Amino acid sequence: MLLELKGVSAAYGKITAIRDISMTVDQGQIVTIIGGNGAGKTTTLRAMSGMLPVTAGEITFEGKRIDGLPASKVVAHGIAHVPEGRRIFPDMTVEENLRTGAFLRKDMDAIATDLATVYRKFPRLQERRGQRAQTLSGGEQQMLAIGRALMSKPRLLLMDEPSMGLAPVIVDEIAEIIREINQQQGLAVVLVEQNAELALELADHAYVLETGNCNLNGPASELHENDHVRAAYLGI
Amino acid sequence: MIELLAQTCLNAVYAASYISLVAVGLVLIFGVMGVINFAHGELFMAGAYAVVTFYADLHLPFLVAVALGLVFVGCLGLLMERALFRPLRDNPLGGLVASIGFLMILQALAVLGYGVRMEHIPPVTQEVIVFSDKVRLPLSRLFVIIAAVVLLGALWYFLKRTKFGWALRASAQDPEAAELQGISINQTARIAMFIGAGLAGIAGALTAPLVSVNPHMGHSVIVTAFIVIIVGGVGSLEGAVLASVVYAVVHTFVTTFYDGVIADIVGLSLMLLVLIVKPTGLFGSADRA
Ligand SMILES: Nc1ncnc2c1ncn2[C@@H]1O[C@H](COP(=O)(O)OP(=O)(O)OP(=O)(O)O)[C@@H](O)[C@H]1O
Ligand SMILES: [Mg+2]
Repeated sequence: MLLELKGVSAAYGKITAIRDISMTVDQGQIVTIIGGNGAGKTTTLRAMSGMLPVTAGEITFEGKRIDGLPASKVVAHGIAHVPEGRRIFPDMTVEENLRTGAFLRKDMDAIATDLATVYRKFPRLQERRGQRAQTLSGGEQQMLAIGRALMSKPRLLLMDEPSMGLAPVIVDEIAEIIREINQQQGLAVVLVEQNAELALELADHAYVLETGNCNLNGPASELHENDHVRAAYLGI
Repeated sequence: MIELLAQTCLNAVYAASYISLVAVGLVLIFGVMGVINFAHGELFMAGAYAVVTFYADLHLPFLVAVALGLVFVGCLGLLMERALFRPLRDNPLGGLVASIGFLMILQALAVLGYGVRMEHIPPVTQEVIVFSDKVRLPLSRLFVIIAAVVLLGALWYFLKRTKFGWALRASAQDPEAAELQGISINQTARIAMFIGAGLAGIAGALTAPLVSVNPHMGHSVIVTAFIVIIVGGVGSLEGAVLASVVYAVVHTFVTTFYDGVIADIVGLSLMLLVLIVKPTGLFGSADRA
């Protein structure tokens, strides 16, 4: 088991946003969290990456407790977070953004190799390597956010709504990239999506969040046939 | 007339040099910490008193005194970060108010330690580069110009070409996203405070023999720095340097051809004009640290 959440709750001030969440992510898996607006998907990812302290429960990664660590320490353990809204550094160049993803790494040669790999995966980023990140299109910014996360050489990638605000063609492209990263590099992925159709198609396992609670989970293919999921999230 | 113009230009370059050192530090601190450091003028003053202490009183070599001033004021910056700005990080006005308090403490300490009199600092060098009869540049002013060019160049290189420079810019642009890359904001805050304060300190130290050193000298410095960063666009380092040059040229020329009070008024009017015509400053808010 790569990542395990046991009875995790998290709050903004006095308001509890997620309650008693338990989930597991195995090596090489794509796990998705689906749910409506305000269900607590982003909050769950923020708890995983240390951006929000947990108020109850435990998070372990590769057998080590990581709840309570600040976000800047969680990355060092091998978890990269592609945040909601991409959050690239707007006034830095594409390449500076990517290299900043490798901030904690000391292996200069391997960083250069990984940068070349990211550029091979995203040729459009290479063409624009000296350009300020805010001048990129939405799809390119999403690619940059993914590339930046890959530069930390993670073993688990957390992705928060990578399809948000993108044209269908680009969404397909991003989906293909997620599948590729997962299959070629054996990288485990936690994928948060509003686009449940896409998420269930990509994922091995799925968790359904509703108003901060998780009462339903199962293999993605099974949830795809679940009546409640079909009615509430697939619009069928 | 040509000679007077040339001489005034030299004076303007000198003024632009120390103003930009102060303003760039202020912008750097604002960019990374989100705090307007009202005590910045007093950090300049502290640098000047370092030279009073180490050079005038203890007779250490001038450059040693300047280096000690840089380190001492840089450490004052670290102290401010740890004791004031970090505990108040979530309070939008907290850092600003705390820095006003710190300003008063530094002024009071200077009065306690040295009295309100003006300090006499023996000149470092009497040498003057003579371009012509009426166009001269004292060597001690040239030092300030060279120091500004070298330090600002080094800062530019640090911010654009090194990993910690990127980390600083990243946490200025999006602190949360920076943390997700493993960048500790406490660490970038320390770096920004040390550099920002240190630049003010070295500007004060280098100009100490050329100005009147007294506990209230920070006041005019901070006013000038505020005008400059508003004209340049709050948050833009390039803007701060450019605006320093513009302000220094305007101020020096008006002082030479009219007088100093009118020059101050013109400087402030320049700021108001920029605020009306382009409220984001010459370099806009898009160009952040
Ligand atoms: N910074 C915040 N301060 C206070 N409450 C917040 C904050 N962020 C989120 N919340 C609340 O926590 C709950 C869960 O929000 P969260 O962002 O995790 O939802 P989500 O599932 O990601 O929704 P969406 O699909 O709209 O992104 C919501 O009720 C939201 O209002
Ligand atoms: Mg969300």
